[in-house]
Amino acid sequence: MNDKEIYQKLAELKDQGIAVCLATIVDTVGSTPREAGAKMIICADGTLYGSVGGGCGESEVRSSALRSILTTRKPELIEINLTDDIGTREGDVCGGTMQIFVEPLMS
Amino acid sequence: MDIMARAADLMEKEIPFCLATVVVSALPEIQPGRKAIVLEDGSLEGSLGTESLDIKLSGLALKAFKNKKRQLVEIDDGVQAFFDILTSDARLVVCGAGHIAVPLVRFARSIGFRVIVLDDRADFANPLRFPDCEVIAEDFTLALREMAFGPSTYVVVITRGHVHDVDCLTEILGKKMAYVGLIGSRRRVRIVLEILEKQGFSRKHLKKVFTPIGLPIGAESPEEIALSIVSELVCVRRKGPAQAKTLRAAVGIDL
Repeated sequence: MNDKEIYQKLAELKDQGIAVCLATIVDTVGSTPREAGAKMIICADGTLYGSVGGGCGESEVRSSALRSILTTRKPELIEINLTDDIGTREGDVCGGTMQIFVEPLMS
Repeated sequence: MDIMARAADLMEKEIPFCLATVVVSALPEIQPGRKAIVLEDGSLEGSLGTESLDIKLSGLALKAFKNKKRQLVEIDDGVQAFFDILTSDARLVVCGAGHIAVPLVRFARSIGFRVIVLDDRADFANPLRFPDCEVIAEDFTLALREMAFGPSTYVVVITRGHVHDVDCLTEILGKKMAYVGLIGSRRRVRIVLEILEKQGFSRKHLKKVFTPIGLPIGAESPEEIALSIVSELVCVRRKGPAQAKTLRAAVGIDL
């Protein structure tokens, strides 16, 4: 999904009154699967649109998003560390870290 | 209209803008998540919360427009905002609506290009063959002469014959664009380049043309060739023309 499609989708979800969260990579250091500006929409039912890097750190982003939509109603800035050792089971071994801003967008 | 709806609206109208979102704030009156939009002339829509912050934002956003970099920016002591620079989407002009154009346009659409298809044969330049595109059935020279080009314009020349290739390139080589590629066997493209050189185009101009077109992945079928062309577009868009040239040179393509 490109940026235009993300923004259109946000507008559409908002019109439908669906509570959503937008996660945006705002900073990266080292090797990361996507660059700053990559976005993902997380709906309260867990539906995802777009991507901030696939498997790498996605579950942390989802937890943060659900917390901010359902509980705190506040944005969070989370750091995803992708520097696990090679050989770690299901480890994130891309090598870098990324800061992701996770913000609830209420209708 | 709220800021996010306005952002969607600006993207629809292809007006470039910077969307600034406060990500970190040490000031209690400025909440993370606050957003404002800055347009290319520095004008502001919305507010980050204080006038002094907004004035600083406009100046910093104008700088960010220049280097097109999306990044975290410290606007004031303890206040950081993410600058999302959203410029109009890349636009692909496909000259020649033959059998490669169909998968090419489909792939290019799915990776976010806006696409214009041009051919002088109305049965080929037919909107039914190219959904979600602007389709122009007109003489190549006349249509290209009228068309606006810019730093986000990518052009693929895949016409049915070298005479049309020459017509297209003659019209566009002097214009500013991100990419121009020309299809053909080595013999055909050499003939086209020789004609253009005789017409007075310098070698430097002709060097800009990616030809034979596409990343060298051994493509044979129309779909494979389309994929190789689209791969080259991705490379130029994400990494710049130098990397795409390097990949070609690695297998000895250096026309």
